[in-house]
Amino acid sequence: MKVVVNADACEGHSKCQTAAPEVFRVREDDVREVLIADVPQELVEKVERAIRMCPRQAISWQAP
Amino acid sequence: MTTQTLPALSEINMNDDGVFERGEAHPVFKRLRRDAPVFWTPPNEEIKGYWSLTRFEDVMHVSRHPELFSSENGITQFEAAGGGEDYTAAAAGNGMMLITMDPPKHVKLRRLVNKGFTPRAVKAMEPHIRQITNTVLDGMAKKGRCDFVLDVASRIPLAVICGMMGLEEKDWDLMFQLTNKVLGSGDPEYQTDVPEDQRGTPEAARTTGNMGIMQMFGYFAQVLQARRANRHDDLISILCESALEGEALTDEEILWFCFLLILAGNETTRNGMSAGLLTLCEHPAAKARLIADPSLLPVAIEEVLRWTSPVTHMARVALEDTEIRGQKIAKGERVVMWYPAVNRDEDVFPQADTFNITRSPNDHLAFGIGEHFCLGAGFARLELRALFEELFRRFPDIELDGPPERLRSTFIGGIKHLPVRYTPEK
Repeated sequence: MKVVVNADACEGHSKCQTAAPEVFRVREDDVREVLIADVPQELVEKVERAIRMCPRQAISWQAP
Repeated sequence: MTTQTLPALSEINMNDDGVFERGEAHPVFKRLRRDAPVFWTPPNEEIKGYWSLTRFEDVMHVSRHPELFSSENGITQFEAAGGGEDYTAAAAGNGMMLITMDPPKHVKLRRLVNKGFTPRAVKAMEPHIRQITNTVLDGMAKKGRCDFVLDVASRIPLAVICGMMGLEEKDWDLMFQLTNKVLGSGDPEYQTDVPEDQRGTPEAARTTGNMGIMQMFGYFAQVLQARRANRHDDLISILCESALEGEALTDEEILWFCFLLILAGNETTRNGMSAGLLTLCEHPAAKARLIADPSLLPVAIEEVLRWTSPVTHMARVALEDTEIRGQKIAKGERVVMWYPAVNRDEDVFPQADTFNITRSPNDHLAFGIGEHFCLGAGFARLELRALFEELFRRFPDIELDGPPERLRSTFIGGIKHLPVRYTPEK
């Protein structure tokens, strides 16, 4: 499954990085990075948490 | 906590503005979470009826559906039955500020100012905020005893936000008084515009809030005029130069923005600091651990936020007929999201009634979530961390020197006075 961050909606609150540090990083220059776009099964639960707790609803699974 | 008896549903009166002041809110919320998570308070001659939400999932749902639950009819629990601006001056701000604005306008205005609140912007302010913190702590250093709210917790956020807005230091005390009047309007201590024998009434609260707003607008109108004439390097000057879809912000929009900034920048962080120190003094083992290892502070601060939830509620109005947890909510009805309640929802937080400074994950909603997530959350976290790092470094034996005095309010979980003692610095 592929995860995407809507750069327009993201404000850099970094909740995703707390929930799934393997997958998301908010850099010190405010640029957010998806480190693993194609999420392996063992990280799906963490990414689900990141999607749920993103304050700006900026993260979603990409439609296949 | 576990042995505490809970009030019966029939005894619960959500209109009671003293429930937080008396420290009785959590048993009420626990009963509601268990037995009436979508709880109706009927209208009366003064105010409209409203639903109280106390479960995490329900508050998530409302917060994440701004197209269904609007902020433009005000964001506090009590809406005047007669409605409108005759009742409270704050109603004139509906639709005028970020906090009382719906998408798509909200998103556009928010984007205009967000640059100042990103992780980079917050990090850049850290040395400045640490310096403010230590200057404020210098003020208490030699005393050995102080009122932590008046001497410390109110002063740091005040200096930060007033500094960002470019307000002169001689005016900061006035800002403190006016924010107290606006957000503490129901508390007799701040009803100084009302004769003493009339304080503590709903009328006194309304007069106090209205006076606070008028005085604040009078003050900011002068500042705005000065900035229009002579640009400074501050937030108000930036607002003067900002445009939304090609149109400059009007004076009225800028004044409401100032109103929001000064309130949101002050009262929230102040009470997070005061309630945070109070909580840590009540949990000496946790406090000792943080003093020994300050690297635990960022995680501990999240637990302080969950535990204290300084903003106690936000309200929304349903834009169409809908349902929450099977309960029909009619178009036009008000729902109130109680943050201290959802932050102790046992479905989300294991052992929710235990203060645990290493709790992880900790998905509390003290800053809200979704469209209106607190813009200043990064600054609040930084101000809290800088305070506790410096305070515990300099005054590791700080402890309570008497009971706290809490604010009479259902909107801000406030502490007005917190006596503390500590070994003075040489």
